[in-house]
Order: sequence, then C-alpha cells, then structure tokens
Amino acid sequence: MIPDGTPTTFGVLILGVSSFVLIMLLPAILELKKPRDAGPRRIMDDAAMSQLGIVLASLEPKEEQMELDLAILKRLADVIAVLPNLEA
Amino acid sequence: MITTILELVFVFLTLVVVAYLVRHYVFTLTVIKNANRRKDDAEPSEDYQPSVSVLIPAHNESRVIGRILRRMTELTYPKNKLQVIVVDDGSTDSTGKIVEQYAREFGYIEVVSRSQEQGGHGKPAVLNAGTKHAKNEIMVCFDADYYPQRGIIEKLVARFVDPKVGAVQGRVTVLNEPRNLVTRLVALERIGGYRVDQEARDELRLIPQFGGTVGAVRRELLERLGGWDESILAEDTDLTFRVCLAGYKVRYVNDAECYEEAVDSWRAYWKQRHRWARGHMQCAFKHLWGVLKSRNLTFWQKVDGLLLLNVYFLPILTLLSCYVCILLFFSTSFQLFTVSWALIAISFYSFVGNFAPFFEVGIGAYLDGRKRAGWLIPLLIFSFVYNIVICSKAFVDLFVSKLFLKRGSCWHKTVHSGDGNSYIMN
Repeated sequence: MIPDGTPTTFGVLILGVSSFVLIMLLPAILELKKPRDAGPRRIMDDAAMSQLGIVLASLEPKEEQMELDLAILKRLADVIAVLPNLEA
Repeated sequence: MITTILELVFVFLTLVVVAYLVRHYVFTLTVIKNANRRKDDAEPSEDYQPSVSVLIPAHNESRVIGRILRRMTELTYPKNKLQVIVVDDGSTDSTGKIVEQYAREFGYIEVVSRSQEQGGHGKPAVLNAGTKHAKNEIMVCFDADYYPQRGIIEKLVARFVDPKVGAVQGRVTVLNEPRNLVTRLVALERIGGYRVDQEARDELRLIPQFGGTVGAVRRELLERLGGWDESILAEDTDLTFRVCLAGYKVRYVNDAECYEEAVDSWRAYWKQRHRWARGHMQCAFKHLWGVLKSRNLTFWQKVDGLLLLNVYFLPILTLLSCYVCILLFFSTSFQLFTVSWALIAISFYSFVGNFAPFFEVGIGAYLDGRKRAGWLIPLLIFSFVYNIVICSKAFVDLFVSKLFLKRGSCWHKTVHSGDGNSYIMN
C-alpha cells in the first residue's frame, strides 16, 4: 500500500512509526529506570571464593562458641579433678 | 543505464547482507543446539603444563596495573613454569614504580622498560619488545586493565596439547557493566561476540578470532611468522589469519574468562571502535587474496574468513544501500524493480538483516542467565547507527592515509579509570 500523500495519511504513518518505536524501546526504558538485571557475569572462581567467604563468615560465631564450650569443659575438669574418687 | 547499474549494485548489497544474516542465524542456532553438550576437548591436566610467558603491555596504567599484577601472584599455574613480563612503554605516571615493586618481590615478574623515545609506536611494537624477553613455550597476553580467573592459564594452554593448535582465545566479560548505558551496551556486544559468535566458530571448526588479549599463542610459531606486524592497528586479527594461513588452528575456550574494564563514554567508544575498524580493514586488504587461494583452509573456513575480514565494511555497505534505495526510489524509469519492491527490500534490511545480530545477543544473554539484560537489546540500534558513522570515517581515514602514504602508528590506547576495582571488591 503506497501512501497517496495526503496530510492525514502522513500523520497516521508518523503516529504508527512512533508508536512502534516506543513499544520497541519500552522494555529497555523500563530496565534502565528500574534495573533488575543481576549484573556482570561473575567469573567462576570469584563467585566460588565469595561463596566460601560467606560460609567461613557463618562459621566464625560457631568457632567462638566452641572455644567457650572448651573453656567451660576445662573448668569442669579442674573441678572434678579435686573431688574425691567416689568409687575408691 | 544508470538505473540498471544501481539495481545491480542493490542486488549485490542485498546478497552481502543476506550472507551475514545467514551467518548470524547459523551461529546462534549452533550455540543453542550445543548449549548443554560437553565438549570432547582437552581439559586442564597436570600431565600437560607447558612453560608460559605472560605479556602485559602497559602505557600509563597506574590505576589498573597493580590489580592485574596482584592477580598474577594469585594464579594457580605453577610459578616455576610462569614468567610475567610487563612492558612499560614510556609511561609518565607511576606505572613503572608499581611494576618494579612487584618485580622485586616476585622473581617470576619482570619489567621491560622502554623510554619515551622508544615507546608510543603502537601495541604491536610493545608486544614485539616483550616477546624478545619471553623464554617459554606459550605466550599469553593480557591488557593491563584485565582481571583474569585464577585458573585461566591452565584452561588456555590445555588446547595446545594438539600440536596443530597455534593460538587460543578466552572469553572477555565486562567488569564495570553497571556504570552507565555505554558500558551496558558494550557488555551486550561482548556477550553476543564471545558467547555466541566465537563459541559457534569453535564448534563449527571455523576461524575463531584471536583477540590479542586473554589469548595464548605458541612462541615458536609467532617468531616463525615474524612476530607482530607493527604496521597494522589490529595486530590480533592479523595474527589470527597468519596463524590459519600457516596451517594452524585457532581455538576458543568459553570457560577461560577474564574481566575487562569497558569504555564508559561515547567518545572513548568512538576512539576504540575507530581503531578496531581501521585495523580490521587493513587486515582485509592484506589477507583477502591469501584467504581465497589458501590450501590450508576448508571452503567454509574461507567463507567465514572473508565474512570476518569484511565485517567492518558492512555498516558502510548498509549506508550505501540506503543511498542506492533512495536513488532508485526517485528514479523515473524502473527496469527491474517497482517502488513496492524497493520498500520491501528496505524493510527486509532493517528488520530481518538487523534483527539477526540482535537475536544473537539475546540468545547469548539467555544462555548466560541474563534474561533481563536482553531488554536493552533494542538500544543496540543506536550503537549500530553510531558504528556506521565510525566505520565510514575509519574507511576514509585509511583511504587518505594510503593516498598520502602516511606510515607508522601511535598507540591510541583506551584510557582506563580503574573504576572496575570497586566492582571486584563488591
């Protein structure tokens, strides 16, 4: 269908093209306004190292707790050592 | 008569665009088909660990050189088989001091310093200077702003267990992608170029391009080929074809990944792509006939080689086709075409021809698990239009330089801000 040159036809053509361009660019505009992309691809060893870091960080409180438990056990052992041997 | 000539030109241009269109779709479908297939290729092994020389050319890279050198100390490759050579090409900042500090502390890191008089003649000259000091079997090149995987050397050199492999290319990932629109579009281009283009070329045993960085080459082969060509701006493309024409293979390893700091402004984008386009065109003029008559390349390798060599002419041909279309449209006597046919052809160019590379990028983003990044693909039309201007300018500059016999080149290097460091720490 070839445009016949009337102003209405040209107006419709321009409106159509503009709408098409807007629809085509809408996802890009949305992503730029509110980016939800995960970001740059993480290189495997960096991703693995950061995961290891997270795991190690989660273990730290448990290590402190283990040290506390050992201290308590040591004190209990010291207390028990001075008690008389009830089986003797 | 003129109309007939224009119509024939239009048919020729259409065929060229269709050839690239088919190539894009073949590459994309190949990668989709092989997405979950494990390659039957050499895996890194302790049985094959050749000696490696890493070459890092540097000119005023004080913001980034420390980062890559620290990474060199973290590599998992045996340090007794590793030599790291930093070529300081007449830097006027603290690049030399930083490198010397590392060289004092680590015996396998050395610095080759070039004075300001010796330096500034382009990256190939710097690489040649570094190659003279290389002692090992395989040479690996990194740009100063890069940040590789710790195990990247093993992955790159594993392919050299095949004695017919002359060069190996790894994958480049953009580090500072979230910075702005330019870096995000460059990241998309990289995804399409490496995850789909290069991967498909390797799968189909065509000609993956050696990119000059995150790449490895046999030192003995490089020396036999005469080293890096200092008259060519795209020394990586030039070496790719010299390796292939000498009967060796170029392989691509998608798992061997390295971060890069992408250009973050449209001006820097122009400078970088202008250099690439001009260098690529130089390679096209240098190797076109060699590729056509080579007995070491298969038919499809020749086809792929020709398409690769001429890829930076495509934006110019697209622009030319628009001019031809407009001239045909206003021509009063059509022999072969009607106005409708011209409009259909233009639509074909614009949607199907341009859609093919965008489809490639979209599939690459999907395979990387980055579906949302694919939403930015329509914006690539703007960088495509920008590239039309860049490539046209590059062609004119090359033509003028040939006409006036301007020789020599200087290092129009990309300036690195070092802002990629913040993304690594995060």
